[in-house]
Amino acid sequence: MADRQLHQGPDAGLIEALRLIGPEIAWPTVAPSAAGRDLAAAVRERIESMPPPAVGFLVPARRRWLPSAGWPRRPVSRALLIAVVLLIALAALAGAAGVGLPGLRVFFGGGSVSPPPSLEPSRSPSPGGPGAALHLGDPVSVSDPAALDALAGFDVRWPSDPLPGRPDAAYVDESKRGQVSLVWAVRGDLPATFEPGVGLLLTEFAGSVDQGFFDKMVGSGTTVETVLVGSRRGYWLSGEPHFLFYTGPGGVVQDERRWVGDALIWADGPVTYRLESALGRSGTIRIAESLR
Amino acid sequence: MALRTAYLVAPEADAADAVQDAFVKAYAALSRFRDGEPIKPWLLRIVVNEGRNRRRSADRRSGLARRAALVEPRDAVAASPESEVLAAETRDLLFAALGRLRDEDREVIGARYLLDLSEAETAEAIGIRRGTVKSRTSRALARLREAMTDLDRGPVHG
Repeated sequence: MADRQLHQGPDAGLIEALRLIGPEIAWPTVAPSAAGRDLAAAVRERIESMPPPAVGFLVPARRRWLPSAGWPRRPVSRALLIAVVLLIALAALAGAAGVGLPGLRVFFGGGSVSPPPSLEPSRSPSPGGPGAALHLGDPVSVSDPAALDALAGFDVRWPSDPLPGRPDAAYVDESKRGQVSLVWAVRGDLPATFEPGVGLLLTEFAGSVDQGFFDKMVGSGTTVETVLVGSRRGYWLSGEPHFLFYTGPGGVVQDERRWVGDALIWADGPVTYRLESALGRSGTIRIAESLR
Repeated sequence: MALRTAYLVAPEADAADAVQDAFVKAYAALSRFRDGEPIKPWLLRIVVNEGRNRRRSADRRSGLARRAALVEPRDAVAASPESEVLAAETRDLLFAALGRLRDEDREVIGARYLLDLSEAETAEAIGIRRGTVKSRTSRALARLREAMTDLDRGPVHG
């Protein structure tokens, strides 16, 4: 006899039972077709054969991207760029595997996935201070941690490892719920990351499963390894640069508009951290574990 | 998520094609996407529309509905440690009952609880008002409970 509580009890029991079986249903997966193409590749091929969609009434871009051949040679809206990336990413995600941290969901895209060429950044050193051209937000004095905490809305953590020392620049992006970026300039013991002139970049942002989730699209040349940062599970992404976007509260899409090189991503409580460095996995983890 | 949504509304054999066509149509319709709006439910709505069209034109049941209707005891879903709190018989009964629901009931329950979409996302994805999601979900749950009771009274038929 089946559990009578599900028949006679309140909806809560039935809803809980539905949620339990949801992930276990034998949902279809995308198998390569007879022609050897998977769903993502098929979508991408069809989209690439189409003319660029009109951007019409969309909000003008706040800054310009350098378009490549095949993409519109005019400013394109943020929504358009994001949507194009998401279309390709979601197509890939139809058959992708996912792993998650609190506040973070990392997806492994198919081998054919790559961001649109219009998102290629210019590879020139940042004018001004380190990270100044990365659109990380408003600069904040690194000598005033209390002000940084207040702007971020959470206690910003700093590496206590003697190698990096005090950051050379700090930024807060209030449009991303107080996302904080600490930047160290390139020097002898801090080789350049994917960002010219930047030797270390620590990003901290509030996020949890309930408040939104973060998606990372990883191309075929990026390796993702599960690692431990102290007692926390994290992910070390290395190899080819990858593009990052996420959806914030309510599913509103936001993007970081830049490529990311080797990076360590982990979460601790309500805050998610990303540390970009060229120090390799162990060197990066060592610095990550020194956050205080 | 897109493929699961298609499986919820489209025949199983058409689900992948529905997703592929939906993404291509979404790309062509980008100018109608409102900046700042959540993109996931917008995309899923296109998937749902594609899936429904294929279900109607093929005059067949959705992949999920068909599979649920064919359920045999203890083969509907694979047990996991989390779901051990639900008896295998109950899981199968619940899944079989889903197969007896009307399409609109299964869609709203599937979107809300199997795909774990929010009310707002469900409203956008299946094309109804948010208030309607609440009322339709409530009625669908009642019908699901009735279907479970009916199935539990007698042998399960495919």
